[in-house]
Amino acid sequence: MSRYPSISSSVWQGLCLLITYVALAFPFSAQAETKTEYKSWEEVMSAAKGGTVNWFMWGGADNINQYVSDYIGGELTERYGITLKRIGINDTAEAVNIVLGEKQAGIDDKGSVDLIWINGGNFRTMKQGGLLFCGYHSLLPNNKLVNWQNPSIANDFGLAVDECEVPWNRAQFAFAYDSARTENPPKSIAELIDWVKDNPGEFTYPAATDFNGSVFIRHVFYHAAGGPDALLGDFDSKKFDAIAPKAWAILNEMKPYLWREGETYPNAIANLAQLFANREVALYFDYDPAIFGINVENGIFPETTRSYGLKDGTIGNTNYVAIPYNSPNKAAAMVAANVILSADAQREKAKADVWGAAPAIDINRLPEEEKQRFTDLPRHPAVVDPATLSKKALPELHPDWISAIEKGWQENVAK
Amino acid sequence: MLDRWKIPLLLSPALLLIVGLFLGGLFLGLIGSLGYMPQLGREELSFDAYRNILTSESFCLSFLLTFYISFTSTVIASALAIIAALILRRHFIGRSVINFLFQINLTVPHLVGAVGILYLFSQSGFFARLAYEFELIARPSDFPALIYDPLAIGIILQYVWKEVPFIGMILLANMQTFGQDYETAARSLGASRWQSFRYVLLPLLTPGLLAAALIVFAFTFGAYEIPALLGQNYPAALPVLAYQSFTDVDLNARPEALAMGMIIAALSAVMIVGYARLARRYVRT
Repeated sequence: MSRYPSISSSVWQGLCLLITYVALAFPFSAQAETKTEYKSWEEVMSAAKGGTVNWFMWGGADNINQYVSDYIGGELTERYGITLKRIGINDTAEAVNIVLGEKQAGIDDKGSVDLIWINGGNFRTMKQGGLLFCGYHSLLPNNKLVNWQNPSIANDFGLAVDECEVPWNRAQFAFAYDSARTENPPKSIAELIDWVKDNPGEFTYPAATDFNGSVFIRHVFYHAAGGPDALLGDFDSKKFDAIAPKAWAILNEMKPYLWREGETYPNAIANLAQLFANREVALYFDYDPAIFGINVENGIFPETTRSYGLKDGTIGNTNYVAIPYNSPNKAAAMVAANVILSADAQREKAKADVWGAAPAIDINRLPEEEKQRFTDLPRHPAVVDPATLSKKALPELHPDWISAIEKGWQENVAK
Repeated sequence: MLDRWKIPLLLSPALLLIVGLFLGGLFLGLIGSLGYMPQLGREELSFDAYRNILTSESFCLSFLLTFYISFTSTVIASALAIIAALILRRHFIGRSVINFLFQINLTVPHLVGAVGILYLFSQSGFFARLAYEFELIARPSDFPALIYDPLAIGIILQYVWKEVPFIGMILLANMQTFGQDYETAARSLGASRWQSFRYVLLPLLTPGLLAAALIVFAFTFGAYEIPALLGQNYPAALPVLAYQSFTDVDLNARPEALAMGMIIAALSAVMIVGYARLARRYVRT
C-alpha cells in the first residue's frame, strides 16, 4: 500500500531535479545590475520603516537561527520598525532558484526574497544572471568597518563583489585533534604526509563531492603548487595539467595509509565528525572552527579537543548577504545589512555560546574601547584563536578551478 | 450528459497535476538528456550524453553495483519472507504478538532504519564496542567493514530488514486465501512435507511472490537515500551518481545526469509493466 508512493518517490525526486534544472537553465545574460535610487541613509531609513525583510538562509543550525531571529530580528523591530522573517532553507540554491524563476515570470519588483545568505557559486550564478541589487555600499554607515582592501573580502571565490553583497562572516579552515590522544598533530601538509604514514588508518578526508573534503584537497593542491599564487585568477588548463599530477601523486601516496586503506572515503563532513568522535580517526577539520567548540559542548567531541591552523596557512573565505534585484523591500533589506555589520551585532555573533563566528568587520577600525571588548571575548578552548588563524589566510580559488580539481580527484584518486 | 462528464471533471485537477508535472517533467528531462540547452547555445539534439555515460567505466560499475544490491536484497528478503510466512501461518501461543512484531518495522522510515544500521554495524558501532569489550578486537579497524564497504553489506542488511515483513505480509495474505486444502490433499496422496511445499504451495505463491519481489527490486534500484548514507564513495549506486552529476556546478554535466535519470526511469518502468502483467495474471487465476 505505502509501497506505491515509494516506487515513484525516486521518480518524484527526479522530477524535482528537473524543475530545478529548468529553472537553472535560464539564460545567463550578463545584464547591468540595478542601481539604487536612494541618495542618503536618512532616505533609506524612512523608506524602510514598517517594512518586512524576508531573509532566506540555511536553517540547519539552531544557534544561528536563534541569533538571527531573536537578536537581529529584535534590533530591527525595536530600532527601525522593521519586521524580520527568517526563512530556513536547506541549500542556498533554493533561494537563487526562486529569484531566477521570478525573473523568468517577469516579476521584477514584487519578488518574495529580500535578503539571502550567500557566497561562492551561488553568488556567481546570481551576478551573471543579473539577479542582484548592487551599488549601495556607500549608503551603509557601517560599511566603513569593512576592510575592502582585503582581497579575500573584496572577492567572493575569485569573483569581484562589486557592491553586490555585504560581508557577514569570515570562515577559515582549521584542523582539530584530541590533545589527550595525539601529542604532535601535523602542522603542515608536508608533515601530514609523513604523519599519515606513521599512523596508518588514523586519517581520512571526505570525498571531493563534500564541501569540506574539496577544501582539504585544495590545500594539498596549494602544497603541490608551492602556494596559491600560481592558481589565482581564471582557470588555466596548462597550469592545471602541470600541477595536478603532483597533487594526485601525493594523495595516492597517502591512500594506503588512510582509514580503510583509502578504499572508500566518507561521503560527508558529518561522517568524518562521527569517525573522529568514535576515535576511528585522530584528526578532524572544518571550514568553520566554531563547530569544534559546539561539538564539545554537545558532548560529541572529547573535552580535550584542540584546534590549529597550518604553518603555511589555511584557506579562508567570507560569506555575505545579498539583496535580489526584485526585492520589494530594498530599503529595509539595506537597513538589515547595515545592522548585521554593526560592531554590536558582530560581537554578539562572535560569542562562543551564541555562534562563535569570526567577524567580517576589521576590528582595528573600531575605537580602542570597542576593540578591547572584541579581544576580551572568551573563546572556547577547543576553538583556535581567530586572530592567530587569520594571520595566515590563503585565498579561495575561482569556481572553475574548484570544479576541475574536484573532477580530477574523482578520476585520479577515488578510483 | 452532465453525469458522463462528472467523473472526468472531478478527476481533472489531479490529472492535470499528474500529466502536467509528471509527464511534462519527464519530457523536459528527456530533451535535457539529449543536450537541448538553448540557454547555453545548444539547440541540436544528440545522444552524446547517453554515449558518454554508457561507455564510461564509472557508470558501468555503478550499474553493476546497483543491480547487485537490488538483486541480492530481493532474493534474500524473498527467501526469508517465505520462511517467516510459513512459520507465522501456524497457530501457536503468542502468535498475534509475534505477528505484530514482525510487521512493526513496516512503519519505520528507511532513513531511520539506515541510521540504526549505522549505529549497530559500523566499525565503532554497538557490535564493534561489544567485540572490544570482550577483547575480540583491539581497535575499530579490526572490526569487519560492514558499512561503506565494497560488498554493500550495510545497504543489503537495511533493505532485507525492511523488505522481509513487506513480502512476508503479502505471502501470508496469499496463504490465507488458499487455505491448507491443497496441501492436505497432496499430503494425503503421499507427498512429503517438502514435496507439498515445493510442488503445491510454492507454485501457488509464485505470482504474488514475483510481484512483491519486483516492487522491492524496482524500489531498491531507484532509491537514493540508503546508498547515499551507507554506501561507499566509489563506485556509487546509480541514483547517487546521477545526483552527483546533477549538482555539479558545470552546467554541461546536466545532460549526463538527466540521461542517467532517464535510464533509471526506463528500467523502473519496465519493471512496473512487468509487475502489472504478473498481477493481472495472478488475478485471473
